[in-house]
Amino acid sequence: MSDKALELEDLHKRYGETVALDGVSFSVGDGEVFGFVGPNGAGKTTLMRIVLGVLAADSGEVRWRGSPIGAEERRRIGYMPEERGLYPKMRVRDQLVFMARLHGVDETEAQREAESWMERLGISERAEEPVEALSLGNQQRVQLAVALVHEPDLLVLDEPFSGLDPDGVDALGEALTEEVRRRGVPVVFSSHQLDLVERFCDSVGIIAAGRLVAGGRPDEFEGSLADVYREATRR
Amino acid sequence: MSGRDAIRLVARRELDEGLRSRAWRASLAIQVLVVALIAIVSIATGGDDGPSERKLAVHGMEAERIEAKARAAQAGYGIRLEVTREPSAAAALRAVRDEDADAALTGAGLAARPDADEAMLALLQNAARVVGSEERLRRAGLSAAQARTALEPPPLRTTVVQPQEGEGGEGLAYIGALLLYIAILSFGYAVASSVISEKSSRVVEIVLSSIRSEQLLAGKVLGHGLLGLIQISLIALVGLAIALPSGEVSLPDSTGETIALVFVYFVLGYLFYGCAFAATAALVSRQEDSQSTTMPILVLLIGGYLVANAALNQPDGGLATISTFLPPLAPLVVPGRAAQGELAAWELALSLVLMAGAILLAVRLAGRIYDRSVLRFGAPLTLRDAVRLARR
Repeated sequence: MSDKALELEDLHKRYGETVALDGVSFSVGDGEVFGFVGPNGAGKTTLMRIVLGVLAADSGEVRWRGSPIGAEERRRIGYMPEERGLYPKMRVRDQLVFMARLHGVDETEAQREAESWMERLGISERAEEPVEALSLGNQQRVQLAVALVHEPDLLVLDEPFSGLDPDGVDALGEALTEEVRRRGVPVVFSSHQLDLVERFCDSVGIIAAGRLVAGGRPDEFEGSLADVYREATRR
Repeated sequence: MSGRDAIRLVARRELDEGLRSRAWRASLAIQVLVVALIAIVSIATGGDDGPSERKLAVHGMEAERIEAKARAAQAGYGIRLEVTREPSAAAALRAVRDEDADAALTGAGLAARPDADEAMLALLQNAARVVGSEERLRRAGLSAAQARTALEPPPLRTTVVQPQEGEGGEGLAYIGALLLYIAILSFGYAVASSVISEKSSRVVEIVLSSIRSEQLLAGKVLGHGLLGLIQISLIALVGLAIALPSGEVSLPDSTGETIALVFVYFVLGYLFYGCAFAATAALVSRQEDSQSTTMPILVLLIGGYLVANAALNQPDGGLATISTFLPPLAPLVVPGRAAQGELAAWELALSLVLMAGAILLAVRLAGRIYDRSVLRFGAPLTLRDAVRLARR
């Protein structure tokens, strides 16, 4: 039994001739925010999809609390894919309730959680509106609420900050850090924005060409994360 | 959460969102309106089994002779004359003006309302011509009997051929086939566009992070099928509610069986085509691209409808029999054959078995194609890609 909540071991994935993941391993503990950075096509999205089970790895293993992760554990993950997705014509409240129910939350609880998250993210007044009628910023808030509405045991967020204005970044960062503090939820997220990774993450992994090329706590790096990143991705 | 719960959740979402959508409501309103119109029109034109009654006001010897001649020939015109003898020509005209009669026949000729029945006018004109000709022939020296023989040669022998089952079966058959075609097409398309809209909005990735693709597919197909059932039930109810109480529309004996089969074959046909539409829709990421991949299914369905129409012309013919056993065609043909009383019990049983087998195959194939393509975004996949994916 490991003290790590989520462990990835030696994941490999190819698409035809293209190698997307070439032996990636890392682990995340309770209450830890793990960020990984890397250039486009480095394998970040593939990695997250494998954790979620949306994609199958060619080899390697994903473990949750020491055992291979299964459908039930995966249903307890909160996910924000890189390509944002909501039902455009569905009303905000209905959408949150539906998503919570999909994750196995019962109807009453789903209603309560939906109300509470709309309240927290300041979109209660939009509850009856279809998502497509909302501003982009508010759509992002709904997206975050969708990832959090079922009180997940683990958060996997692909580029959660992309497309957000500074206020949105602050609101999202605040909601995340609060979830981590309140319930000790481990968080895995990917980003292009090194400053945000430095600001919110307890540990960092740098991924390039399907391999984890560097990692550690940002405050333990020699020099800035940007220097380490540049050095690591040059190889 | 069990797989069944997941399917039910997805189906309920599709149902709720569908019932709320303007597109669904509009299409329901239009179809109910069309069916109501058909029912009302058939009531208005109904009762043409018997001759239509026409009132004729008559005054004068000559007029009475014409009237007698017309009465002898009225059946051929689908008319039954109801004659009143008026004391004067003026009284006969007054009867027309007061709408007590449709036409007046007097020594001065024929007087009729502007909207008078053409058939009645033709009947009276012909009768007048015969009476006039008889008169002239007699004056030319022929006896009355000779004149009549000359003018009224024996009529063409006609034989009335009764349809085997209650009449109106053909009409019901074509309406049933059309209704099924429209329902399967529109709800098959609805599933396709719902699949694509989940892909194009990318929400499918979130949904598939918590439930399996087969569950999502099954829920979507079921949800839209329920919408379809609600719609055709309402349409059938409105049609019957208008047609039945009037007593004007005589429904064939096969009506009950036909309606039941329309429902059964809607479910079967929709499951078959709905899966096919869903699987081909999963190959594309944008609505604009859907035409190319759903085209073969569309061609199959439209072709099926055309074949069904041809088959229903001769419901006991070879084409009709073969179509009964071809799953893509059977839903459009079987209820129509039953409406015309041309469907044997063993044919129905075999058709249902073959249909069920084809649906099982379609569900499995669609599930595989859907599973392997629904998370592929970007350029549309071809049907060949789909077959390759399904093999893996």
